[in-house]
Amino acid sequence: MKAMKATTFEISQFGRRLGTRLEGAAARRVLLAALDDLPPDGQLVLSLRGIDVLSGSFADEAIGKICQLLSSGIHGDRTLVVASPSADLVEDLSDKLAQRKLALLCRVGGTKGAWRVLGSLARPLVDTLELLNERGSATTKELAETLAILPNACHNRVRRLVRLRLVREEKIDVAAPHTQYRFHAIVE
Amino acid sequence: MRLTSETIEDVLDLVFVHAERSIDLRDVRSIDVYALLLLDLVVRHARESGAPLRVTWPESPSVRRWMTAMHFFVDVKAGLAPRPGSQPTTLMPIVSIDREEDVSRLVGSFDARLSDRYPMDESPRRRFLRILLELFQNIPQHANATGDVLDPHGIAAMHDDGHSVVLAIADKGIGLARSLRLRPGSSEQADLAQADPEQASLKQTSLEQTSLSDADALRAVVFDGRSRFRDPGRGHELERIFRLVRSWEGTVVVRSGSALLFQSEAGGDVVDVAPFPGVQIALSIPRAVFGIGEAAFGEGGVEPRGDPGFNEGDEGNDV
Repeated sequence: MKAMKATTFEISQFGRRLGTRLEGAAARRVLLAALDDLPPDGQLVLSLRGIDVLSGSFADEAIGKICQLLSSGIHGDRTLVVASPSADLVEDLSDKLAQRKLALLCRVGGTKGAWRVLGSLARPLVDTLELLNERGSATTKELAETLAILPNACHNRVRRLVRLRLVREEKIDVAAPHTQYRFHAIVE
Repeated sequence: MRLTSETIEDVLDLVFVHAERSIDLRDVRSIDVYALLLLDLVVRHARESGAPLRVTWPESPSVRRWMTAMHFFVDVKAGLAPRPGSQPTTLMPIVSIDREEDVSRLVGSFDARLSDRYPMDESPRRRFLRILLELFQNIPQHANATGDVLDPHGIAAMHDDGHSVVLAIADKGIGLARSLRLRPGSSEQADLAQADPEQASLKQTSLEQTSLSDADALRAVVFDGRSRFRDPGRGHELERIFRLVRSWEGTVVVRSGSALLFQSEAGGDVVDVAPFPGVQIALSIPRAVFGIGEAAFGEGGVEPRGDPGFNEGDEGNDV
């Protein structure tokens, strides 16, 4: 699978203090336009650099609702990740995503920072996601072997991660009795 | 006599339960910021209801100076003004919150006042600003969601009492119970619409009056994170804010309609109070949270140091 194209969007263009739903809704319209401009498998990196405060209301309107749209599939294989200079900046965003039962990958602390999951993701799904992110790509069978779980259980976990746009799937053998997939991390 | 979140209830009881038209505050030696905002709304509500109150203001010069510095008399249009040259010493005087477009600017002014006075730690400062953003925008978003309130009069102020930074936000809008009854697709409304769609909207008013108590609404919002919107991203703000304040070993007071909740680290529950429109909230956050040490004394209305900050006598006036 070819490398996806990542485009960074600086959310500070809406101000340093991002607070109200009204402002969040206006930002969402711009973010959706940026998402639509991406190639079909593109990735939007939402940078929080330069932000002083990100409230839950703004975060929900601008980011939570976009995650909802992404998980519905109407934006195809496009993905969204967040890059935040600090963990406390994304606390309310994480709470709002959890309310929506959604999740998002966030890199905290600069380009060499660690990736963490914001929102709501059960521990087994986090384990599967972390394993896939570590490997870069794998089949369900390979993941199941490493995690020591049943392939069907692993398949269900990965399908959920695909729906949340936290990993990508690639059809690798459509001639087989059941279509085979390979799953790819969306972050490096 | 101290006018606090507890004793201000005596004033509301007099006015709204016993229909008293005069309030005697002469002996008040201190007022907390929550009580001040509630007093502001009580005076306004009475005036707008066509039965203005006759208030005898506190005799203590320091209390009156502080009330002036808080812009109280300007906000209630009481006709009392400070002498030229008297300097406000309060952390943040009363400001109006009308439009959502103004919320970020107002939060910025609170941030500036707090940061100018204290070298705060960044993390709690950011969390505090997020609290301000959520509570302030609640007023334009919810206080007049029915569109039938002439003036919800959203106001906020901030005060340092020497131990804690106290934030108060208040309005006299529709309150939590009426707000929750607007929730689309609620079981009550759905049942009604299914049974008799044509009458559903007509019956809504009577349903509103009987179906959800103020205490139930307060519990639903604070403990269960309920909102008038079905959108799963809505709600839970007060729940989260109050949890955060309690984790700071602070206290929370929230009042709506005839219900009041006091919460501290040890917990708390809802009690019945005199009915009054809108939502009024006080958050008391220990100064230590912001990296500020304890002060020798508070800034407002505590110490009776004579300061003739007024050009009015002690006579009561109709407001």
